[in-house]
Amino acid sequence: MAMHQPVPDEVAAPAAVKLGRAIVITSGKGGVGKTTTTANLGTALAQRGARVALVDADVGLRNLDIVLGLESRVKFHLLDVLEEKAALDEALVRDKHSESLVLLAAAQAREKEEVDTDRMRALIAALRERCDYVLIDCPAGIELGFKNAIAGADEAIVVCTPEVSAVRDVDRVVGLLGNRFKPQLIINRLRPQLVKKGKMLSVEDVNAILRLPLLGVIADEPEIIITTNKGEPLALRRDGETANAYHTIAARVAGEDVPAPAPELRESLMDKLGSFFGGRRA
Amino acid sequence: MAGRRIVVTSGKGGVGKTTTTANLGAALAKRGLRVVLVDADIGLRNLDLVLGLEKRIVFDLVEVAEGRCQLRQALIKDKRFESLAILPAAQTRDKDAMTESQFEAIVAQAAEQADYVLIDCPAGIEGGFRNAVAGATEAIVVTTPEVSAIRDADRVVGKLNDRRLPMRLIVNRLRPEMVRTGDMLSVEDVCEILAIELLGIVPDDAEVIDTTNRGEPIVLDPTARLAAIYEKIARRLEGEMVPFTSFDAQGFLGRIIGALKAG
Repeated sequence: MAMHQPVPDEVAAPAAVKLGRAIVITSGKGGVGKTTTTANLGTALAQRGARVALVDADVGLRNLDIVLGLESRVKFHLLDVLEEKAALDEALVRDKHSESLVLLAAAQAREKEEVDTDRMRALIAALRERCDYVLIDCPAGIELGFKNAIAGADEAIVVCTPEVSAVRDVDRVVGLLGNRFKPQLIINRLRPQLVKKGKMLSVEDVNAILRLPLLGVIADEPEIIITTNKGEPLALRRDGETANAYHTIAARVAGEDVPAPAPELRESLMDKLGSFFGGRRA
Repeated sequence: MAGRRIVVTSGKGGVGKTTTTANLGAALAKRGLRVVLVDADIGLRNLDLVLGLEKRIVFDLVEVAEGRCQLRQALIKDKRFESLAILPAAQTRDKDAMTESQFEAIVAQAAEQADYVLIDCPAGIEGGFRNAVAGATEAIVVTTPEVSAIRDADRVVGKLNDRRLPMRLIVNRLRPEMVRTGDMLSVEDVCEILAIELLGIVPDDAEVIDTTNRGEPIVLDPTARLAAIYEKIARRLEGEMVPFTSFDAQGFLGRIIGALKAG
């Protein structure tokens, strides 16, 4: 395969190549923030100087390119590489913001059934030779797209929102991942105000069911929708609670011993108004 | 006459297919219509949770397909609405446990005894999507006003077009204040991109998370503003001309007034 063209250095000293880590970001349920997490964690790792490749495994419904603002720069995609229509280096899109970050986009007009699992595994292995981290953005569901996304990975991060349906789906995915992965958990879109009012599951509620090592908790922030629509991951910033939460998660992924980030409770203006009117807000 | 068979789909996950299916079904049942909700998300079922019926499941969709029970044995009657029933998905099976023709046959059979069969489609466009769509003669496409959701919806609209399915659009989780500041696409923007007929606009409401967690569809709460909105959507499905609530161009005060008026 084109991706296996040996570079002279490798031939001379194959033992010197330290393989990067291949981590799949998955959830079962859709819309819980897999793609946003992949983009932000990748950005945060790259900001630390790591070489990072992001792979969009959602063939037919790709979005990682949009979240990174790279949609106009995609020339070749995952299936082009798997089918040897393009070399891996040609297909990797350099990020606009982080020098050591590259994207391998999914094919938009193709189907998940067209991905060959063995070739997918070989592709991830090839990326691990040139990067410190390969983050694989898994499609929703547990069909073929899921199976192909996890094929080349050796670690998993599961993303869950504090909702019973998301928790149930993650629980199922953890079961399907089996013992090969040691999944770590990111709880996404927590609204501390709702937790306080008893209207949302707390971090403890979620993890009482899942019982997974917690990487961190991300608050529900309109800022994330805005940065996502703009194609500029929030983790490009160095200030702000949510941006910092992604940097802390990246540090934890890199093995630093720092506590898992958790959003703080702050009373919003609407909350105050809500209690002023003596009822719940609509 | 057999009932209408409508698939609720989106491409992207987490935009509110299941919540829409449950609330629209409840709103139709509240009008006295006979409604069957089919959870097509085999392996990742959730419609039962949203309706608080998870403990009552005895048989599921796949068992009906395999002839291990009758359709009427697998249907679970809702706790609150006499004319509402769900057909749960199997939780420990895969989506390829069923074929398109099996799915189509079950939905057709359900439609014989109902005015509406709403099919809650899984995320994605794989086998589970094809099964869910195979049973339908109409589609409701749910999207949120986000670039990624709209791109996915566009792909799905193309696929539904290929099958000549008539479809209408629900724009879900609109945040009017973000539209106003230019941080979110407006309903007009979304309609222009997708170019399909609008069926409803549902604003983002934190209350939904809570009612969903408790297994109580929000249409049960007569004071909830979303209850009125789902009821309007149900009336539009029934063919009534119901004007759309305007959420755009609402200032801060407008929002407060809107919240107090609730609906």
